[in-house]
Order: sequence, then C-alpha cells, then structure tokens
Amino acid sequence: MNLPLSGLRVIDMGWLMAGPHGARYLADLGADVIKVESGKRLDPLRGLGPYQDGQPGLNRSLSYHMTNAGKRSIAVDVKQKEGVELVKRLVATADVFVESFTPGQIDKMGLSYALLAEKNPGLIMVSSGLLGRKGSMGMGMSGTGLTGSAYSGATNLVGWPDRAPAGPYGPWTDAVAPRFLAVSVLAALHRRRATGCGTHIDLSQAEAGLQFLAPAYYDYAANGHIAGRVGDAIAPLNAPSGLYPCAGDDCWVAIDAVGHKAWSALRKRLAPALDAKEFDTLVGRLRARASLDAAIAGWTRHRSAREIETMLQAEGIAAHVVSSDADLGDDPNLEALGHYEPVFDPLLGDIVIPAPSWRLSADPRPARCPGPILGAAGDEILREVLGLTGAQIDELREANVLG
Amino acid sequence: MLENVRVLELSEPATMLAGQILGDLGADVVTLEPPSGAAGRRLAPFIGGKPGLENSLTWHALNRNKRGITLNLSTPDGVSLLEQLLPAFDILIEGPAGLPDADAIAVPERLVRCRVTPFSPSGPKAHYKSTELILTAAGGAPALAGDVDRSPLFFPVPQAMMEAGADAAVAAIGGLLARDRDGAGQAIEIGAHTAATLASLGRIVAARSGGPLARRSAPTTIGRLPPVPGLFECSDGWAAVTLLFLPAFMGLTRGVVAWLVDEGSLPPDHMEIDFLALTSRLARDEADPAPLHDLIGALTRTCAQKTKSEIAEASQRHRFMAAPIMTMADIAAFPHFRERGLFAVQDIGGERVEVPARFVQFSDYEIGVRRHAPALSEHSCELLAAHAGLGETELQALFSQGII
Repeated sequence: MNLPLSGLRVIDMGWLMAGPHGARYLADLGADVIKVESGKRLDPLRGLGPYQDGQPGLNRSLSYHMTNAGKRSIAVDVKQKEGVELVKRLVATADVFVESFTPGQIDKMGLSYALLAEKNPGLIMVSSGLLGRKGSMGMGMSGTGLTGSAYSGATNLVGWPDRAPAGPYGPWTDAVAPRFLAVSVLAALHRRRATGCGTHIDLSQAEAGLQFLAPAYYDYAANGHIAGRVGDAIAPLNAPSGLYPCAGDDCWVAIDAVGHKAWSALRKRLAPALDAKEFDTLVGRLRARASLDAAIAGWTRHRSAREIETMLQAEGIAAHVVSSDADLGDDPNLEALGHYEPVFDPLLGDIVIPAPSWRLSADPRPARCPGPILGAAGDEILREVLGLTGAQIDELREANVLG
Repeated sequence: MLENVRVLELSEPATMLAGQILGDLGADVVTLEPPSGAAGRRLAPFIGGKPGLENSLTWHALNRNKRGITLNLSTPDGVSLLEQLLPAFDILIEGPAGLPDADAIAVPERLVRCRVTPFSPSGPKAHYKSTELILTAAGGAPALAGDVDRSPLFFPVPQAMMEAGADAAVAAIGGLLARDRDGAGQAIEIGAHTAATLASLGRIVAARSGGPLARRSAPTTIGRLPPVPGLFECSDGWAAVTLLFLPAFMGLTRGVVAWLVDEGSLPPDHMEIDFLALTSRLARDEADPAPLHDLIGALTRTCAQKTKSEIAEASQRHRFMAAPIMTMADIAAFPHFRERGLFAVQDIGGERVEVPARFVQFSDYEIGVRRHAPALSEHSCELLAAHAGLGETELQALFSQGII
C-alpha cells in the first residue's frame, strides 16, 4: 500500500494526547512512527482509562491505544546521557520529531532544535505545549487539555448563563491541537520536497483551541461583544431547533427543522400538538419558542430518542440522538464505517480502535493496528534504524538505558 | 509552506475551515459560491448585529486568505466554466452537496479531491438530513458535558463543521503529498460524524470494551473521598486548578499545597501529607478525609481572594496546573499571546481588526493575513478572464443572466 507518508519516519516523544495524537494522524497517513517512552516515567495516558474489560494495566488503556495506534515503542531512560544519545541518533535519521515536554525541557536535555538540525537540516520538529515556547509565559509552563481549554476560551463558553462555567467534556484542546499539529507538519513536508529545509513548529494548545472558537473571537474584535454561555440554546435564529427530553434517564434528541418543508412535515407528524396559528411563521415560532418547545417536548418525552430519530428522518426532518457512550457503541453509521471491526492486540486480544475520519482512494479501508506494548519494538528499532548489533543492545540493556 | 498549491473550495459550512487553513499556510485558495451567496454568509454573529451577505463574522473568521468567485452550477455555462477552471487547481474541497453532477463533469486526473460528507455515503444514515446541531449531537461530546439536572451542553460556536474542516485540511495535504510522490490524484472522503467523535476523547471505545460508561452526573464520592472541584471562583471570574491524585501528577498537587502553605492558608505540616496514599486509603474508606477537606477548603478560600491572573502566576511559581477561565476579551488582552505574535490584522467590513490567525509559529515562516474574506463575487471577473479567457462582454452576459 502506497500511503502518503510511507517511507517517512517520525519520532514521537509526546505525552498524553495533544502531541501523540498529532503523531497518530501521521501514522494513519503511513509514516513509521516510533514512540520513545520511558518505563520509569510512564506516559500518564497508560494510567488513564478506560481500560479493556475495566481492568487497569499499563498496556490496557484504550485511550493510550487510540492515541498511539500504529506506532512502535522503544523504552529509553532519558535521565541517562546514553539514553539521550540514543534519542539523538534516532532523530538524526528521522523526518519529523514531536515532543510535548514542559517547554524548554527538551533544550535542557540536549535535544534542542538548533543542535538536532545541525545533524539533520531537513528535520521538522514540533514542540507542543500549553502556551507554546515563544512569549514571556511559555517556557516552564506545563498544562493539559483542561488548562488549555481555559486559556483558549472554551471553558468559559460551555455551561449555563446562570451557573459557573462547566467547560466542554474533558481536556478539550487535546482533541483540537492534533489537527493543527498534523497539518503544519504536512505543509512543512511539502515545502521540504522542494527546498530541503526543515523547520521548528512551536504549537500552543490554547491557540490551536481558539481556532475552533474563531467566530466568537471575531464577534469580540469587531463588535466588542463578549460571547457567553448559552446552555443548549445554540440556534437562536431558528425554531424549532434544539434538544428535547426523551423516555429514559438523561436521554435527549436533537431536532432541527430547517426550512418550511421540514417544519410542515414535523407539524404534520406531531399533529395536533403544533397546530396553533402562532406557529405558522418563523417569526411566530421564535416569539412563541417556549410554548413550541414545550409542545414538542410533550411529544418526545414518551418516546425513545432512537425511535424519534428514525421516525423524523423518514419524513425528511433533521433529527439525531444526543449520543451517549452507549449510543456511540451501537451507532449504525460508525458500525458501517468499520469503526468496531476488531483490531488484534497480542496482550488484549480483540480491541476497538477508532479509524481516522478520512478514506483515501488508495486506501479505502485502512488496516488498523493497536497501540504498542511498552518497549516492545526496542531491539528491532535499534537493529534496523541504528544498525546496532545484539551485543551492543545487550550492553545498553545491562546499563539500564533501555527501559 | 504551500505557496505553489492552488485550492478550489466549493463553499459549504464544512469546507470553510479547511480552505482557510490551507490559505493560512500559503496556498492560493479560491472559494466558489452560488450567485446568491454561500450558506456560510448567513451564519451569525453579524457585524453590528446587522444581517447582510458581507456581515457574517463567521464568514470573515473562516474565509481569510481566499479569493471569491460565484458560478451558478445548475446552468450549462456554470458547469462548463467550472470544467475550464479545474485544471488550474491542485486540490478541490467539497462539502456534502459536492459537484453538481459529478459523473458529467470532467475531473482532471491529477486533482486531489477531498469531500466532506455528514455520514458515510454507503452507510445506513446516508440519506439523513443533517445540520451542525445534528452532527455535534451525534459526536458524543455534548452528552458528557454539564449538570445532569439540565440538558447537555453545546458551544455557542459551531463545532462539527470545525472538526470536519480541520480533518479535511489534514487529509487534503496528505493527498497532495501522495501526489507529489506518485503523480496520481486522489478522491478522499471525510466523514463529519467521525471527525466530531474526537471531541468525546476516546469515549467511542469505552462502550464496546466492557469498561464503565461515562454519564453526566452529580459529583460523586468514592468511599469517603470528597468531590474534588476543578473550577474555583476568584475575585474577577473563575480559575481552573488541576488537583489530581494519580502518580504522574503528585508533584503538581504538592505544588498546590506549597502555594497554600506559602499563603498561610494551610499549616506547614500539610506539606508532609502523602496525598496519594491518603486518597487510595480513602477510596477503601480506611482513612480520615479531614486533610483533603482542609486542602479543598483552603484552595477555595484562597482563590476567592485572588484574581485569575494572580492564580495563573502562582501556578508558574509553585509549579502546579492552573489557568484563568479566559473570556474573548481576556484573550485579546493577554500579553503572552501578543508576544508570540498570534494576532495579524484583517480588514473586516472596512475596519482593520486584529485576529488570532497564527495557529502555530514556525521558526522560519510566518502565517499572515494576505487577503480579507472575499466579498460576494469579488474575484469572479479576474479569475474567469485568467482561466477561461472570457472577455468583458461575455462576463457582462454571465452576470446579466444570473450565472455569476
């Protein structure tokens, strides 16, 4: 299979998700991604669930598998200078180097871009950090996607106007930053084909997150309006459009009747609940939004969300379950896309690894691999990439450099 | 970075960010709209709160660094002109509507086509009507956010179209790199539903893997472990302070304790407590939770007396994780983002406005705003003259017949 990045090597020294998931995008595009990790200072994602069968274990975290799928792992102790030397030699052979240590730490380790680029001028290095490197607060500032969301403006925007901010689910910028990491690396690879030049990419998770909120920033910059929390009222310019309660515990359906045709179909389906004259026009429905929503909720709350979705979509009305974990788990679209085709892991047996959102014509059903077992490919990488002999590898192992 | 790359975008909400990312990285991007204007021009918020095809701030936020052309693709002239334009482009980005009659249009073999569809075109939801609300709801993140006594939560800014657009930009350059090497074009499909599931951060695997399901719920306690809040009210808003009792994060938790001791909010002997051991004993209901209650109480009281930026500064000094809950006004005023050069100037409705355009900093390349978001049909004549060789009278004819 001739994937876009086949033949390219990426060294991934990231932690948690923002850096490593960016490297997973590169693995999905065919790069050979070598995850350099440490058995002494584990990637914290190995210690975060969910775990296969709910049983913890450093090779059992499904979040780790998802973010590191398709990579090979070598365990190196970078507290020792021989360990740093090994990383330096690996990076000298690589096209891309991703790191997400606290900004500045990589320089202290002797792995600064300036030093690495001397040996490998075509190297594309990414430093991913909470606030990046440049700027007075960058260096030494560590954080996660939780603090990233706060600095990006996301936390403040999700919640109810009458309550404290709730923030989006989890460390949100961890899901946003990888896209900007990957696209920047790919653009740099394109330029390198013509110029041979590498580059150092300084990525701030917070700034990446802000890109997904740009309309709210522009609203402030142009209008001086500071966007606030709106709860679930995301479509103030259309009615009916919103979330409605369904039968069951915390079950919801999203209904978005856009245009007169969809509205008429909804009105007919729910007759006589929506027959009031005031609902005839959009302006009427916006003015009577509370009674309109109450009438729809009166109908939805006795039915299951899945039943409503199917029923309304059959009439050409946009509707969908507000998907919980369980709904995602038996979503027929994800099933049809092969998301739940088992992927074999030597320790865990069959596991679930979400596929990328894209399909290339050259690769319509990409082969999926699990994340690596800690250090499992160490010997293979040292032999293949650095040309070390068995005796040299044993020496490193005895000196505790590997592990 | 992409200075020699030419991109044609058939504008729909899901394509806008993709085109802009490529444009920000230097590509020559042309966005194609129907003569009545793209759907993205009707998205709120609007300049001065006034509706109008040139007033959508969502349009301005997602169409910088593009030129704009209009073509009515339901007419033979529109289709013919599109065919004449296509050979001038390397990448074509399409939304759900896509090319009008893809089979009838001659698509150059070397073109990298990248099409965003809501659900899989071959799957059981292919026929679904979908909107931003539907795709975000289907992605799984809203159902995990907020308090269980109210409905799930959404951003006031569309997210599904951002997720799909960003993934489309990645896949489009991926396809271009494959072409750089093999010379062959690509037809790439992007699933907006799948792209949106990334915001649920791996929960997609949980339901099928025997682990516990995540639900929105009131804060729970394990054993006698008190609930640990993540947000604290301060004198000018809110701050996020991360208190995690996991081995990899204990250094940061000690940093919080050190700050509180320094502030006189906790007695110095709190530094001696092994919170990792304490919390694991608490989970088994084998310890007194008082030290943890004291820590949370002291943190709550101390934060209440500080500003959010004082808390952020303290976190840097004492090495723990905390952040101000920033509003857009805070972001505009945050010196660090300015020092990094996040902002560039964009013309929005005749005003010069600073916008956060530089999503990364390259050591030897600067993302810039070379063009404002195009006005409707701003570059139609220039592009059709250059690529289809149309003269003045022909352009006037196309305009008078509603084709451009």
